[in-house]
Amino acid sequence: MRSALPIVTVSLLSVALALVPATAGWAQAKPELSVALSSFSTEVLDPVLGGHVVKYYLSPMFDYLVGTTPEGQPSRDGGMATRWENSADHKRWTFHLRKGVKFHNGDEVTSEDVKFSLQRAMGKRSTTGYAGPLRTLIQDIETPAPDRVVIVTKEPTLIIPTYLSRTLSTEGMVLPKKYIEANGDDAFARKPVGSGPYKFVEQMTGSHIKLAAVDNHWRIGVPRFKTMTFRLVSEETTRIALLRRGEVDVADISRERVTELEKEGYPVHFRREEAILSMYWVLPRDGQPTADKRVREAMNLAVDRAEIAQAIFAGKADPASIPLGLSWSFRDIGFKVSPEMVYPYDPARAKKLLADAGFAGGFSQDLYAFQLPGLPEGKAFAEAVSGYWQKIGIKTKIVPLDYPGFRKLWVDRKVPGAMGYYNIANRDWIGAYALLEKMAYTPSKANDTVADAEIDGMIAQVMRQTDREKINALMRNIFTRLRGEHYGVPVVYLHSPYATSKTLGKWNPGSVMYDLFFDQLAAGK
Amino acid sequence: MALAILSVVVFILARATGDPLHLILPMSASEEDYAYARRYLGLDRPYVEQYFSFVGKAMTGDFGTSLRARRPVSELIRERLPNSLRLALFAMCVSLSFAFPLGVMAAVKKGTWIDRTAQVIAVLGQSLPTFWVAIVLVEFVAGRLQWLPAGGISGFASYILPGFTLGWFVVAGMMRLLRSGMLEVLDSEYVKLARVKGVVERRVVWLHALKNALIPVVTFAGIYFAILVTTAIVVETVFAWPGLGRLAYEGISSRDFPVIQAVVLTTAAIVAAVNLGVDLLYAVIDPRIRHAR
Repeated sequence: MRSALPIVTVSLLSVALALVPATAGWAQAKPELSVALSSFSTEVLDPVLGGHVVKYYLSPMFDYLVGTTPEGQPSRDGGMATRWENSADHKRWTFHLRKGVKFHNGDEVTSEDVKFSLQRAMGKRSTTGYAGPLRTLIQDIETPAPDRVVIVTKEPTLIIPTYLSRTLSTEGMVLPKKYIEANGDDAFARKPVGSGPYKFVEQMTGSHIKLAAVDNHWRIGVPRFKTMTFRLVSEETTRIALLRRGEVDVADISRERVTELEKEGYPVHFRREEAILSMYWVLPRDGQPTADKRVREAMNLAVDRAEIAQAIFAGKADPASIPLGLSWSFRDIGFKVSPEMVYPYDPARAKKLLADAGFAGGFSQDLYAFQLPGLPEGKAFAEAVSGYWQKIGIKTKIVPLDYPGFRKLWVDRKVPGAMGYYNIANRDWIGAYALLEKMAYTPSKANDTVADAEIDGMIAQVMRQTDREKINALMRNIFTRLRGEHYGVPVVYLHSPYATSKTLGKWNPGSVMYDLFFDQLAAGK
Repeated sequence: MALAILSVVVFILARATGDPLHLILPMSASEEDYAYARRYLGLDRPYVEQYFSFVGKAMTGDFGTSLRARRPVSELIRERLPNSLRLALFAMCVSLSFAFPLGVMAAVKKGTWIDRTAQVIAVLGQSLPTFWVAIVLVEFVAGRLQWLPAGGISGFASYILPGFTLGWFVVAGMMRLLRSGMLEVLDSEYVKLARVKGVVERRVVWLHALKNALIPVVTFAGIYFAILVTTAIVVETVFAWPGLGRLAYEGISSRDFPVIQAVVLTTAAIVAAVNLGVDLLYAVIDPRIRHAR
């Protein structure tokens, strides 16, 4: 009997061995870049299906019409257009294209590809973030020469170059017309062809997307990494273990693990102020305690933002003061947060304001609590804010629900006066404007969280205005009024950490919405 | 019939979870964008029409297009199912490798240290949560000691940690079943007769007794195999394993109706196939079942 035991065990383990294909390991011989991320969002490969949330793995594969520096500034060196100009009436935008650029299948990039890409981005199939505004804005696209494209708009505008740049979403990515027409949308969505420094190799949904470098690229020269692999690893412990084993070079990590990894010698790069964590009320405000400005101010003063930044976000966050205040836009419009705008933590004054408004005994406030992508601290954050409000007498009731559930209640206006929150991705002034148009503009109806006629007027003027200085002044005034009227409870700006291997070297993840500039990391020139 | 009822239930339940467009479209999407997307994805059609369209296509193996990944669902299933099958088979082999010797030895050496050790393993296997075992293995075996890969599919070594985590739980149950079955059989008349006739003990235990103790173990293994293939969500998530369980989770969390429907129907088909396999195996193990009318 003794001899039978090992026979059974060995034979079963042998069967197990036989079941496993003998594939090559992940362990990488450099130069390869492997990036482990907690989420791939939709995992789509077609730019018109994914939009801004998948830019980090699409940007190395495609070129944009208008280039952008990692700091978010338009660049004539980083896009397909080497220069662009507008007509006197700001309704015709002419882009001059780089010559000799080829798609990965060998076709040359021409103005027809740009026209096709833009029409596709505005088409039925598109679910990108700015497809709607572009449909409204663009009247015609002309291709007078293979290296020249003219975009004609219905109204005078300044925003066309930004909309078609890497700053915002994916509408500006240039796609191969002939390839898509010959093979169809579905084939392109499975095996995309772009003109970027990396070409598509393979995708296994739920696992990885692998790209391979082209020999030489006008944007980055000879790429430093032969391959670039994005690995979907939801569990943080696993991402960190992969980093420690040298299986990945970059991993997104939670704020609370930063110190531990830094102590072990792993460089941690931050995307500073990557998102603003802001709370807002569901409209309409009529009959609600928060219809009174003093109540809104009291709720802001009651929150200790510095403590939240420290306790909930491990010190990797900074207090915020401007509702919907996307700080990356501030640099574009010359807006400065003055010391008077910063909310102090002042529960005594908050209580007085409540009493002055006739709510000395407090009132009931529903607060919807949920986790959000990139915000595992969501529920803890909601509980902390709720605690501060309870201290000044507001009877906060936390309602657990997932975000889509809350969003439906919000846009359907089923729970007036209730509060929710969102970690809104930071963006430049056009992106900030687009957000304001959705969340602070009464005609937007569903998504509006502000309802202020003065702000509505200023937002309406921004789009019609073609003088950049006047636009900047309008945008500054909008933010000033949002703060002055306390239209929301901005709490903190979140800094997002990315740990890298000890040998990776310098990397600037930049400050552009949903883009991590891995192609810049691979720059060989 | 069961599949028909299941298709109705899953069709209704999948839609009860909410509107997938809230997750697909960006926060800045307007009402027009919603209407556009709803029309394009066919979500504006009446539910009855959607149901019959789903059933009609499912009969031909077409489960529609994933709302999230925008790829044919059958393609996603084809991509993920082999990974789950391989991992489940590996885990099952690991379980059997440990459960058989331990279970049989625990019965044969009842009351000895071997029996007590086996019982401790059984208790630990069933009481330690899978997510905890998985995290501990990743943190220490992969991350700190760096003995084995932490996640992903990359050859034999990458199967060990997830396979052990999945198999560990099954070992416990299987071993206990085998032990109790063996104890009952070892006490039966025909085993005593075999011993009286002078059959060597090794042959009595591993041939005569074990075969007759196998029926409940095979049933258990069959049920667990189907579970391992289809619902190993925690293990697949921790070990970044692109399997069917995670596909189901992704489908549920993004309200991806076509994926949810397809995964449920695939699961049902797998359970039915495994049950059929188990029934056939009964006949092999016990010829009396084959000849029964």
